[in-house]
Amino acid sequence: MSEHDKLAIGIDVGSASIKVALIRDTQADVELLVGRSERTRRREATDVVASLVETLLSEAGLTREDLAYVATTGEGEIVDFRTGHFYGMTTHARGARFLDSEADACVDIGALHTRAILMDERAKVLGYRMTSQCASGSGQFLENISRYLGVTMAEIGPISLQADEPERCSSICAVLAETDVINMVSRGISTANILKGIHLSMAGRYVKLLKAAGATRVVLVTGGLAADVGLMAAMRETLAEADDPLEVRSHEHSVLAGAIGAAIWGAFRARKMERLGISLAPGALSEART
Amino acid sequence: MSTLTELDLATTSITTLVSDCEELIRDTSMPSVRTWKERTGGIAIGFMPTYIPRELLHAQGVLPVGIMGAGDIEIIRGDAYYQSYICHIPRSTVELGLNGSLDCLDGMVFPAICDVIRNLSGMWKMMFADKLVHYLDLPQDFSAEIGGTFYRHDLELLSQKLVDAGARPLEAEALRASIRAYNENSRAVRALYDLRRREPWRVPTAELYVALRAGLVLPVESHTALLERFSALVQAQTDRVPVDQARVILTGSFCEQPPLGLIKTLERSGCYIVDDDFVQVSRWFRGDISETGDPLDALVGAFLNDAPACPTRYIDDGEKGRELVDRVGACGAEGVLFCAPSFCDPALLDQPMDTAAVTRAGIPWTAFKYSEDTGQFQVIREQAGTFADSIKLWSGT
Repeated sequence: MSEHDKLAIGIDVGSASIKVALIRDTQADVELLVGRSERTRRREATDVVASLVETLLSEAGLTREDLAYVATTGEGEIVDFRTGHFYGMTTHARGARFLDSEADACVDIGALHTRAILMDERAKVLGYRMTSQCASGSGQFLENISRYLGVTMAEIGPISLQADEPERCSSICAVLAETDVINMVSRGISTANILKGIHLSMAGRYVKLLKAAGATRVVLVTGGLAADVGLMAAMRETLAEADDPLEVRSHEHSVLAGAIGAAIWGAFRARKMERLGISLAPGALSEART
Repeated sequence: MSTLTELDLATTSITTLVSDCEELIRDTSMPSVRTWKERTGGIAIGFMPTYIPRELLHAQGVLPVGIMGAGDIEIIRGDAYYQSYICHIPRSTVELGLNGSLDCLDGMVFPAICDVIRNLSGMWKMMFADKLVHYLDLPQDFSAEIGGTFYRHDLELLSQKLVDAGARPLEAEALRASIRAYNENSRAVRALYDLRRREPWRVPTAELYVALRAGLVLPVESHTALLERFSALVQAQTDRVPVDQARVILTGSFCEQPPLGLIKTLERSGCYIVDDDFVQVSRWFRGDISETGDPLDALVGAFLNDAPACPTRYIDDGEKGRELVDRVGACGAEGVLFCAPSFCDPALLDQPMDTAAVTRAGIPWTAFKYSEDTGQFQVIREQAGTFADSIKLWSGT
């Protein structure tokens, strides 16, 4: 490792899971060293963060002292050893651009909210649209439905792909959608057709968000639902039906996009602070800035 | 805390001191004022933002009590007095008046802020005819001959009204002593603002703000002691370390105050607030008021010559925003948060000129509005957070 390289860790604290990514920034390039996602379940989020960070550092043969920046995103204010915090839009845009250099937009599907983000080639956010208060179309909503139907999250995608007559449900209200699903089950609709219908409803919502944000070329889906092949297929079908050239992609590390973006911005910021002579050592920050 | 009237300044915990101050602010029945009156037999006079000459009241044995709204109390009667396009502070002030919270006050002074507050002073005269009500018509001409003469006359009129309400007559030596007491208080406030500018992680604005607000219901001597204790405690906090956050100035909150949750939200969203215009009465003058010569002239001179640029004071069109730009430079800020109450005419009418000035100076800014009873901060959190991100990542590139 060159003395000019910067090591940074990104910690994405979500409402359901915590994602951590460790990167090396060589100025010319960025390398993802290791990344991990873990559901919080009923544990303290701070404990999960501490355990994940130590695991990743240990796997990479590093210690916290080797890090130029500890960057958080999501609900990362709970991490008391952070160097700085970046917002979800900023980090998902950077993470998406790292994972797919052709992406000019991303859609971050989180447990509670979904955001469509438009960015430029530097990953600077140019515009965004976000779902409102209702959890319909979010990851948590899909998880609830999977529980009602007795399937695991991993099974949802493959089952959805088997649908032959999908049944659409409400895409506006999670409560109405859940009622729709109960009605479908009692009417004997197959699980595949129910899941495909839900995927299509969610896809319709995401496409609307993307179009409102101004996406026109390539969009990368970030967040855990990028691994849902049924949802990805539904988004592509929705766009094809509308004869829309927008191309939807996913990446094996899509779930880590926020953490990766945070880490990359952390390394970037560490260099910038170095250049500006800003140190976070007590007393030094104010001297440099005032 | 021991009681709401005497803060426990022996505490070794900044958390306890801050929480005591919060309680003092939250209790709109103002037990500290009631107890002060029982103890001293003096009278207490309320005042609205942004500035009144508290030294004058203090010299006549009066406790000046700042009324800066009522936070998120339910407004039942106050809404009947104002249209929906009027800001929140006059409704909550009416509510406090009508629900008996302000019964301990022997009168109110309404300084010239805007038409709404001017109208409120008229309404107050009708609602509380047996109490002192004074509209303090602050001059907008800052020459000694015109504005100075006018203002001195206004102060003499107020002084006489205070005597009529039961205060002791104004004496020069007493006024000099009061000026000294308030100068001391202002120095303590300025020292804390300087400390926050240098080391903002040591002095969270949400804590500094409640310490300032406590001064609106406490005698000035007690408040100065509180600020000195506050300063010692925050400087002793070894667990507070700097985080990479954007340094911003917050402006526009000089009258109706934002909810405490909003200030905390801004700090959590990645901003170090290194200057602001909260509780402006405590920092109305840039330096000390002269402690020599005729003390009434000293008060007048300070008002004419040493007050900050504020939307409630006349500023020539070409000058608007210049002082804000200077302040950004002086405190090493990297951006400006225009944070004004909804429907605040003075703040929002000046905002286009101020934003134009900071834009010309190449300073990033963002703007949002609030009401004192705003309860949802998620949108502002996103806005301020992404603003802080943009400063950290894109400024200077």
